[in-house]
Amino acid sequence: MILELAHFQILAAALFCLGLYGVLARRSAVMVLMAVELMLNAVNINLVAFSAFRDISIVTGQVIAIFVITVAAAEIGLALAVIMRLYRRRGTVNVDEIDWMKG
Amino acid sequence: MNADFTLLIPEFILAGAGFLVLLVDLLLPREQEHRRNAFTSATAVLGLAVTGVVAATTQMNTGESFHDGLLFIDRYSLLFKVLFVGIGIAVVVMSVDYVAEKMSHPGEYYALIIFAVLGATLMAESGELLTAFISIELLSFSLYVLVGLSRGDARTAEASTKYILLGAISTAIMLYGISQLFGVMGTTRFTEMGGLLAAAGDWDMTLISGFVMVLAGLGFKLSMAPFHMWAPDVYEGAPTPITALIATLSKAAAIALLLRFLAEVGSGAVHEWRMPLAVLAAATMVIGSLSALPQTNIKRLLAYSSIAQIGFVLVGIVPNTVIGANAVLLHVIGYAFTNLAAFTVVIIIELKLGKETIADFAGLSKRAPVLAMIMTGALFSLAGLPIFAGFLTKFYLFTSAVDKSLEWLVVVAVATSVISLYYYIRIVREMYITETEDESKLPVPALLGLLAWVLFAGTIAVGIYPAPFVDATNAAVTVLTPWVAL
Repeated sequence: MILELAHFQILAAALFCLGLYGVLARRSAVMVLMAVELMLNAVNINLVAFSAFRDISIVTGQVIAIFVITVAAAEIGLALAVIMRLYRRRGTVNVDEIDWMKG
Repeated sequence: MNADFTLLIPEFILAGAGFLVLLVDLLLPREQEHRRNAFTSATAVLGLAVTGVVAATTQMNTGESFHDGLLFIDRYSLLFKVLFVGIGIAVVVMSVDYVAEKMSHPGEYYALIIFAVLGATLMAESGELLTAFISIELLSFSLYVLVGLSRGDARTAEASTKYILLGAISTAIMLYGISQLFGVMGTTRFTEMGGLLAAAGDWDMTLISGFVMVLAGLGFKLSMAPFHMWAPDVYEGAPTPITALIATLSKAAAIALLLRFLAEVGSGAVHEWRMPLAVLAAATMVIGSLSALPQTNIKRLLAYSSIAQIGFVLVGIVPNTVIGANAVLLHVIGYAFTNLAAFTVVIIIELKLGKETIADFAGLSKRAPVLAMIMTGALFSLAGLPIFAGFLTKFYLFTSAVDKSLEWLVVVAVATSVISLYYYIRIVREMYITETEDESKLPVPALLGLLAWVLFAGTIAVGIYPAPFVDATNAAVTVLTPWVAL
């Protein structure tokens, strides 16, 4: 079987949807973050595949993917620090219990 | 390819000012908190002011693109640059007393405000999706930290967690959209995408999903319905000056990017996105106005009111005309003055009384008549009553929609304006009619009082003498491709 662009697109879409499911279904803030990582990796697969199949000499897709990886790392670092602070205050990272403000 | 780095001198100054603030903070002894606060805030104001002056004096006639449309240094970005620098200065000034009372890291606080302004500036300049994305992240990361930077208040931890989790999700969705658009078009530059899209004919699913997801990501930053759920919690939990920063800077930056994106990319296919966006605009106005009705916390009320305001802005974006774009920019300017004035008063009340519910405004007309007057002016401007900025800018926005026969949208907008008048008047009634036992005079800090006056004057200036502002917005709008010939 020859791998075509569509295969990569399906893989990326499936990964993205898995991540989205994780975001919606998971209760722990840390697991939500991991699900977001899954979504970002789907983006990377999509970008690299598009770039490779369209025109191998244009590397825009790969460049964007590198930026996405970098930004994702920064985002995770920041988000974990924020969640840690929440845990120190409340003793929980369950997103269902973070509901002091309402209205 | 134009790689003339001198075009970016204001941005370099801004970034340098951010690091300078951190350095000043580092050099002063840790125990002298008051001095550190004074010196770092003064450095921040100075850095922002220099940036604004340099940009306004050297780039008045510049119309260049940096690296073939990576960044546009033109009148459009200049207008926003000056606006953002102004917002930055106002927020730093309104923070000084607040930081002295409630925070322990003045250096980081002011430096992050400067980096947020830098991110917003780059958003207004960017003409390419990756650049836009990086700029959004620079702004967002600064805000994520700033929201959680207060000591003592347990709500900040909750607000920053919600903000960063939802922000991360919206980032992922927007990136997927960018990857889809890149996949279909093979480019991420707005100008090239616009040409391809105009020639594309019927849109296929990849294109639609990409476009929708990019707009969803921007919609989150704008707190456009249905992506507005984070706004009330973050507004309430964040330190009040940061709430003001989110309400003005981050919204204005997202509008700048959205307007440029839709004008450059979407103009060739307006019929594809006009109706969906008009429906979202109507939904945003209705949800914002109705949800504000039962609120008792002033910051939460202003959050819902800002959601409704974004709906009004979208009314001007939907027609995709030069009049609409002018109205949008004018509304953003007037809205910045108005909202900052309102938040300055809220900060004074919060510092003096320690609370921020609407009931705390009771009897303010007797305790601090000037504050009551300024707050009333700001609220009337938000509601869109004459002589204040809001009336005129809303009038322009609605006119632009009527031009494209979107009368139903204007009907919704006027109806929600009337609803919004009810909850703004509620605060005014509290200030002027409700009796309180405690009628002692409220001392107004000199700096905050002066800032409130300046912002109040700006609100009225946009309302009664809009000519210079209209000149600026018109010069800004006519650099965008679809309207460049006008």
